[in-house]
Amino acid sequence: MSELGVGRPTKRRAGSAVGGLPVADSRPVLDGDAVLGSRCTVCRYPTAQQHLPWCPVCYGATEPARFARTGKTWSSTVVAIPVGTRRPPFGLAYVDLDDGPRVLAHLDEPAVLALGTRLEITGTDDGDLVATTEVQ
Amino acid sequence: MNQAMLWGVGTSSYGRFPDQRVESLAWTAVAEAVQDAGIRPDEIDAIIVGSVFGPPGVATRIQRGLGIPSVPMWTVENACASGTAAYHEAVEAVRHGRFKCVLVLGVDQMSTLFSGAIVPEATDPEGAASLPLPGLYALQAQRYVGEFGVTPEQLAAIAVKNKTNGMDNPRAQLRDTVPTVQEVLDSRMIAEPLTFLQCCPTSDGAGAAIVGGDRGDRSDLRIEASAMVSGALWDQRSEDVWGFASVARAAEKAFDQAGRTPQEIDVLEVHDAFTIGEIITLEALGIAPRGKGAELAPSGHTTRDGAQPVNPSGGLLSRGHPLGATGMAQLAEIAWQLRGQAGPRQVARHRVGLVETMGGGAAGMDGNACVVTILSTQS
Ligand SMILES: [Zn+2]
Repeated sequence: MSELGVGRPTKRRAGSAVGGLPVADSRPVLDGDAVLGSRCTVCRYPTAQQHLPWCPVCYGATEPARFARTGKTWSSTVVAIPVGTRRPPFGLAYVDLDDGPRVLAHLDEPAVLALGTRLEITGTDDGDLVATTEVQ
Repeated sequence: MNQAMLWGVGTSSYGRFPDQRVESLAWTAVAEAVQDAGIRPDEIDAIIVGSVFGPPGVATRIQRGLGIPSVPMWTVENACASGTAAYHEAVEAVRHGRFKCVLVLGVDQMSTLFSGAIVPEATDPEGAASLPLPGLYALQAQRYVGEFGVTPEQLAAIAVKNKTNGMDNPRAQLRDTVPTVQEVLDSRMIAEPLTFLQCCPTSDGAGAAIVGGDRGDRSDLRIEASAMVSGALWDQRSEDVWGFASVARAAEKAFDQAGRTPQEIDVLEVHDAFTIGEIITLEALGIAPRGKGAELAPSGHTTRDGAQPVNPSGGLLSRGHPLGATGMAQLAEIAWQLRGQAGPRQVARHRVGLVETMGGGAAGMDGNACVVTILSTQS
């Protein structure tokens, strides 16, 4: 849908992917064998958000954290329309990381997976997390 | 606390009107609401506007045609619940005696901003990752289908029901034909399992209401409850699908205020931006037990001649979805239903009505905001 945002400003911040100005990237970051985020030093709440003022659950101090790349599928879908620079079909899943937060990942192969299917974050594509069905 | 009443409602038509001014859409709705309330414009002592994509200063641009100078006026944005969030502020202000007569307005003109689906918000993690709103609802739906075994036909039945109702709504955007369940399922896939006919269109439109105190007019509707909640964290700890908990929190407050049970509601307008939304919402409102919401439409419970009609206007699926205006359109429909003015859409029992608007999309929250209001006739 690359024509969106071109030739006409939209009130919604479209980002550079659809012709708008670049914005700070808020997506979770994959760093080697870990997904980066924060963890509360008091209640241990894990989140993929960074630079928080305090723990949003107990208001304790947070510290940077590294979360395992493996987890379970909370839900998944195959999107059949173009979005940004993405061409359909593409698969998306919410993945509950084993020791961490729920993150949105693109699937390496578009598919609707059974709830709880094991996934592994194997890389990124243009900043998006990419998940692959874990080899048993 | 003063009793807040709904004095009058009005709306524009809903559709794609890129050649109309935003103000024109708003003025149409305001004029109808003022006439419906039977007031002079200078009785209005505050203006609250709900809009998501309106131009900066949209309220003032509308005000310059109204001749209501110097009154307190502000704009609120709460995603799809912007219109009813503005309404909620008006109700609270009247309850607390701050104002005697408030003009509430919801307006958005989407056709001048987007040529198709809404562009996801690039500053949001999910938006940056190309998750469109139908994709978010699709993830909700797939989780729900996996947990409760809802069938594609049950999902499609929501679209058939609401599009059937919408045929009798002259202000609705989509009212050409009523699809069959099979035609809904055969329409182009947007995000599995949601097909094109299970998604509301983006639209242009406005809705207005006059909220005031009890002036002894028997045609005014009693606002038994108005509750608004913002979002809470929605994450790996959540036992509910996205969006459920915010509706449930608002519903609990509203039923508590009104001193009513969900079974006492005669007619409802709820947020059906996507078919799964109506199912989840009716469960969160307590109209159906958890996991049973999908049975309501196929069983006839929520059809217009059913025990508890839901979206007799055709809902967002027929009317379309001008974000800021949607809640006000829902409110107008419930007002017309309760007063017996809904013409061919009129439901049989219409003493107590409920409006629910849920706005969401910010990643990691169970919604941006949700408003639930309960109104009744004075009989
Ligand atoms: Zn904590």
